[in-house]
Amino acid sequence: MRKLLDFIVRKRHWFLFLLLEIVSLALVYRNHAYQRTIMLSSANVISGHVSSASGYVNSYLNLRDINRDLLERNGHLEMELLELQDQLEMLQADHLPFEGFTSPDSLAVFPYDFISAGVVNNSVTHLSNYITINKGANDGIAPDMGVVSEKGVVGIVSAVSDNFAVIIPLLNPKLKLSGKVSGSSYFGSVTWNGRNARIVNLEELPRHVEFDKGDMVVTSGYSAVFPAGIIVGKVVDYSKQHDDNFYSLEVELATDFQSLNNVRVIKNYHQQEQLNLEKEAKRND
Amino acid sequence: MINHIIRNTIYFIVLVLIQVLVLNNIHFLRIATPFLYLYFILKLPIGTSKSMVIFLSFIMGLVIDTFTNTPGMHAAACTFAGFFRQPLINLLIGKELPVDLSPSYRTFGVSGFFRYTLIFVLIHHLFLFLIESFTLFDPLFLALRIGASVITTTILICTVEAFNIETQKSAE
Repeated sequence: MRKLLDFIVRKRHWFLFLLLEIVSLALVYRNHAYQRTIMLSSANVISGHVSSASGYVNSYLNLRDINRDLLERNGHLEMELLELQDQLEMLQADHLPFEGFTSPDSLAVFPYDFISAGVVNNSVTHLSNYITINKGANDGIAPDMGVVSEKGVVGIVSAVSDNFAVIIPLLNPKLKLSGKVSGSSYFGSVTWNGRNARIVNLEELPRHVEFDKGDMVVTSGYSAVFPAGIIVGKVVDYSKQHDDNFYSLEVELATDFQSLNNVRVIKNYHQQEQLNLEKEAKRND
Repeated sequence: MINHIIRNTIYFIVLVLIQVLVLNNIHFLRIATPFLYLYFILKLPIGTSKSMVIFLSFIMGLVIDTFTNTPGMHAAACTFAGFFRQPLINLLIGKELPVDLSPSYRTFGVSGFFRYTLIFVLIHHLFLFLIESFTLFDPLFLALRIGASVITTTILICTVEAFNIETQKSAE
């Protein structure tokens, strides 16, 4: 007994070592993307505030680029507005007003809304990257909301604390997104291979879909997260997949993750309803 | 003793801030990120008990983890590397060193300190990158990333050590 105690005391660093390794590895394995511990992520109070201080400083460094992008976007929207006004006038010119016709039901409004937020922590070089933003549950953000930048898709909200939220971006192998080549209606899944922060792959696209290099890849709208038609990127290359029935497309991302500053979180008022319905349909199956 | 505690606390805070605010944003050629925070573990006094080294390594890793959203990864790698610190010193330098000195160019010699740093960093990075890539295996790219990061981290730590005012002062 005495010898055993002696042994334990002498080798106590072995036991401490094993204990701490087990704790660490337990943290690694328990840490699945969708149930991450808020306490140990950058959404917690201390690291969140340090990150947001550095994000505040960093946000000044890219003001010129952001301004240019916003002006560009503004220009596009203005053109679109003019075009739509033009169409509206033409339609009004040759349509007969009918007083008995009521305006569309107010329930049929566009079901999406957005919340804009600033990026306070971001990474692009790890295999599993995460982004932290400075809005959280207090601002109405909840897990599984879609996130976009002014140029295209960013990712999906995974964990939320009161004032911060962590996003799983496209640059994380855990995220799979339903996407399609603009103009066709066959969809595939968008994933990242972990190498290049500019390129993602659109996998499992049927062979007979016609497309060219340079075509846009957009979200399919087949999930409750993103509306259809949000830009993911541009096709730069393609290859046959192993079983020859599918194409794998290399897509250059529209969003520049290395200089991400402002994002918009998309809120879908019908998301819960859709998910509940889908769950019920599966259960009845 | 109190001096040691204050000094190491300052090291800890400064190194965490540098790592989190500056170095985590560096991705040289998209493959190499320097992990300067290991300098804290490397510089603990030689006489620090093995359990203490392991515990402090774990805490350091855990703090870095909270900032990089990788719970447990750095903690596991640091604990692992911290466990090998004492055997490494014994193996490379021998046991005749005074216990309250820190490893430095003066106490270990330039080549001794370099070898000590290189092997320590290699152990840490091997473990870190292996844990990280469990989900996505790509051996060649992995080896490239480990090699590149080991080189940048070692160079950075050796440079910082060369310009560390505190070490130079204690040499006088």
